Amino acid sequence: MKRWTSTVAVAAALTLGLAACSDPTADRPADTTVSWPAPTGRLDGVSLTIWAAQNSNTVPKKVIEGFQAATGASVEVVTIPDPYEQGIQTKVATGDKPDLAFWQPTASMLTAINARSNLQPLTDAPWLPAMAPQLRDITGLLDDTRYAALVTSPAVEGVYYNKEVFAAHGVTVPPRNFDEMVALARQLKAKGVTPFYEMGADRWATQWWVQVQLADAAKSGLWERINTGQEKFTDPTVLGAIKKYKALVDEGLFNPDIKTAKFEDQGAALLDGKAAMVVQVNSFFGQLQAKADTATLDKRIGFFPISPSGNVGTFIPDQSNALVAFATGDAKREAAARQLLAYWMGPGYPDFLADRNTVSLQTAVPDPAGVPQALRDVHAALPASVGSMQAQAVANPDLFLNLADMITGTTTPEQAAKATQDQFAQLAKAAGAPGF
Amino acid sequence: MWFLVPAFAILLVFFVLPTLFNFVYAFTDWSGFKSEINPVGFDNFADLASSGTLFSALRITVVYAALVAVFQNVFGFALAVLLERDTRLNRVARVFFLIPVLMSALAVGYLFQALLKPDGGVNQLIGAVARQPFDHAWLADNTWTIVVVALIHSWKWMGLSMLIYLAGLKTIPEDVMEAARIDGASRWRTFWAVRSPLLAPAVTFNVATALLGSMNGFDIVQATTGGGPARTTEILNIFIYRTFGQGLFAQATTMSLVLFLLVALMAFPVIHRLRKREEIL
Repeated sequence: MKRWTSTVAVAAALTLGLAACSDPTADRPADTTVSWPAPTGRLDGVSLTIWAAQNSNTVPKKVIEGFQAATGASVEVVTIPDPYEQGIQTKVATGDKPDLAFWQPTASMLTAINARSNLQPLTDAPWLPAMAPQLRDITGLLDDTRYAALVTSPAVEGVYYNKEVFAAHGVTVPPRNFDEMVALARQLKAKGVTPFYEMGADRWATQWWVQVQLADAAKSGLWERINTGQEKFTDPTVLGAIKKYKALVDEGLFNPDIKTAKFEDQGAALLDGKAAMVVQVNSFFGQLQAKADTATLDKRIGFFPISPSGNVGTFIPDQSNALVAFATGDAKREAAARQLLAYWMGPGYPDFLADRNTVSLQTAVPDPAGVPQALRDVHAALPASVGSMQAQAVANPDLFLNLADMITGTTTPEQAAKATQDQFAQLAKAAGAPGF
Repeated sequence: MWFLVPAFAILLVFFVLPTLFNFVYAFTDWSGFKSEINPVGFDNFADLASSGTLFSALRITVVYAALVAVFQNVFGFALAVLLERDTRLNRVARVFFLIPVLMSALAVGYLFQALLKPDGGVNQLIGAVARQPFDHAWLADNTWTIVVVALIHSWKWMGLSMLIYLAGLKTIPEDVMEAARIDGASRWRTFWAVRSPLLAPAVTFNVATALLGSMNGFDIVQATTGGGPARTTEILNIFIYRTFGQGLFAQATTMSLVLFLLVALMAFPVIHRLRKREEIL
């Protein structure tokens, strides 16, 4: 009898445990209409949490100051250590959610955080009519529902170059396409200059070299074909770009310490003229801004987008560019989170831009006076740019990791392409993409 | 027996259930991308077996664990022998070697990462002694970095091994030693023929904990190399962490199940063999 009761007790406890441990992020019905509170309405006693990464935790400083003063709410920024996206996904999977978070606003990353059940839709956001028309719907959407608010100009992959190095070697016009850039690199190398600088040890920038080569293919539907399994990373288009990158490294057009160089080394090298060019995104320029003032940057650093066919950029909105609002289940705080976004992109926007010294996304709000020219050039390249892998593919495989492995010499371009394709298929299958 | 219930309840919720779920979720398609969780049979295992990454991670994990087991025990044993006598200096030294055990593993990792950078303290020291600049990238060598990381792991934990070997040395009965001396055994002979065999239980504990503990290692590797260069130090837990972070929860669970089985498969024979050695006692 005793034995019987204890068996029942254990079984009951197990069932209870199983129920308790089921997925905490169960689906909730998507709201059809979203109400938007007035940006400066009172919110006394409401406290909001924003998750930010190490490189974005100071972004909202000015906005929060203004919002707290205007509404009486209290807003706390919590820094989630790098790797940021992994940390967030893990926390959200275990049921931990902030009110707002910085998040890469691309479809693949919105899928990765299960936007449909975890995020608030930002339909009919009040700031949308004020946005520059060509930037309004550039990103932040998943299946035609808006989940992310773009606050700064999305990053563009392109070439940052040292103007003084170019001038010293008689280069007056930046290269007009990828082949011209390689030809210029060979000239510079012959004169004893390190043409390109890559950060093999920090790995993540390796993918830009492949992605800029794919810009034209992306324009003609490369990612749609990859998304549906009609084309693979191992097919000639992507594999060819990987091989070209490897060939340029083998040719000696990069810094000799490519395997051990880090992000900071890359910034210092370009700023000091130890290298002529760096293929990078906006966060690289952010590093330069931390190292030098606008006058120095305008004098030394330039930017041009690049693709095989011409000066076409590849845009890649990143985590520091946008915010998402979480569906926490607390209606009052959810509304307050939307209100903060409305304040940010509304009354608080000019102060925010001035504090961050960055370009405006709204036609009626002018750029602050101190924005460096290179950043304006990056922003100007945006409307003509094509989407990156992150922006257009249904899943975001670790292409950079496989390329970094290839640079250290442990894998071949073919192996790097295959590893990327395998992982892409695995992620696409998990995301429920048809054909995988 | 009812007073055991709270303890068992805690054991159930925090140990039995998670382990059980580790088995259950490995056979599903649980991911961060959607809310439903469907059973998929052995799909995850088949996928993992077909991609080479799992096996390379497993191989790296075993190599890492073996290196740590050897280093940690050699260092711990040497320290215990050196610091065996209860002098004041030895007592102070023992405390100092025990401090790393109490330190946060991540702190140890970041400390060594800073020291071993090309322009870090270690190279500056070597450069100063050799009177020429020295910039070896200790943590960027495809072959030797795993050895360096295993050494760091062993450095952190050698104090614990030392403590257990010390305890082992202290329990050797004085009369056995005296008998050996009367029989005319040299100190060297006494050490190898009498004291070492009598340390068998300490060896069992130290080897088993070092080996199995480092198979579950994560923090030190994450802080020093993050699995690099070129994934040559990507032990299974780093791989699991990376997979989990991509939202592939089921695949990560499958891997941790594989790790669990691997540790179990290694633990039983290793402990069995070491216990066999103790039987001479």
